[in-house]
Amino acid sequence: MNALEFEGIHRAYKRGFDVLGGVSFCVKPAQVVGLLGKNGAGKTTLIRIAMGMIAPQRGSVRVLGMDPRQEAIAVKRRVGYVSENQILPPFLSVRKVVDLHRDLYPTWDDEIVRGLMERFELPPGAKINTLSKGQARRVALMCAVAHRPELLLLDEPASGLDPAARREFLETSIRLLNESGTSILFSSHYMTDVERMAERIVMIHDGKVLIDNGLDELREGFSLAMLPRTNGIDRERLHGLAYCLGVRERPQAYHAILRLAPAQARAELERDLGYRDVHCQTVALEDMFVELAGGQS
Amino acid sequence: MQFYVTTGDDLPLYRQIIRQVTDAIAGARLKPGDRLPSHRDLATQLVIAPLTVKKAYDDLEQGGLIETQRGRGTFVRQRLEQPNATEKRERLRDAGQRLLSQAALSGVPFDEVVDLLQEIQKGMES
Repeated sequence: MNALEFEGIHRAYKRGFDVLGGVSFCVKPAQVVGLLGKNGAGKTTLIRIAMGMIAPQRGSVRVLGMDPRQEAIAVKRRVGYVSENQILPPFLSVRKVVDLHRDLYPTWDDEIVRGLMERFELPPGAKINTLSKGQARRVALMCAVAHRPELLLLDEPASGLDPAARREFLETSIRLLNESGTSILFSSHYMTDVERMAERIVMIHDGKVLIDNGLDELREGFSLAMLPRTNGIDRERLHGLAYCLGVRERPQAYHAILRLAPAQARAELERDLGYRDVHCQTVALEDMFVELAGGQS
Repeated sequence: MQFYVTTGDDLPLYRQIIRQVTDAIAGARLKPGDRLPSHRDLATQLVIAPLTVKKAYDDLEQGGLIETQRGRGTFVRQRLEQPNATEKRERLRDAGQRLLSQAALSGVPFDEVVDLLQEIQKGMES
């Protein structure tokens, strides 16, 4: 059974304007999937749908085999969730917040809390509203993992945190993954974090899944081709190639992201466009994101 | 041995691990029978996904460099499997090509490249 399954999810906030226009993908047990997309692409919407906080207008979502709205409590007990804008009760102490969470989760493990309180150097008596942004986010993470969730949903968990705090976040998630086999879906704009954590990447663009591939496949089996803006090469023609994922117009050249390793890409382009020695190279995740997100609409 | 990986590298993370283990075996910093950290421990240590380390280990195991003994751990193989001659040459071809292009660009003649290789070889042995 998959940890998480989205099937043909549609969601609009305004009639006729789909944020998500039929999104399907899944997260397998003990898998870490990085969710990418521009601001407004619908990443948060998707994660909220998985949490049962909003309902899709069409399509279905299964969390650990359950419907998160029908079986809201059963799902929440087995899932951990941290978001960028998570609000913890401001006037409660860290200790009190932990107590409240402990009551909600039958599988709560105080050993994890003790370990993380120490590692994160959290003052148990301090009120939430006296903590720094980083400290407050650490409390949220601690409360999201202390019941050893089977699925962890992280919505931009580390945005605005310094690199050391972000690394700590990753470390905590990886420990949990190692010790409990937790599946993780996390959205982030920090591509270095995504490269460290994720083994699979799902990229949402224009309401659809544009990429759903292994990270190493993206690094080694995809390429960026740079084609001169001459010789009858144009946007439409490039878009028409079955293996072309996206085209971005630059002043000197077209940049195309292709679902092929560089050597193969060169050969296919020569065959299909009659253009020899096109510069093709593998791309880092960050550049692939820029090429795809910046060039489509 | 200490591992270090970075996301800023041209190589994906799992390939960086493969390269470091391979280099360490070639340079005798890892010897036959030496134990490698478990893939989970190494993942925690490097703060990367455990499956990325597992992928690197699987690749190294397939290449005959390491072996996993169930319940005991992962070790450098006692008798390193020798790939056949053509395979060996092909594995080196890419690296050779890059080295020679670099040399040509820097105006270093072929003889000096050979000297340099000998120098590196000495360094690896000591």
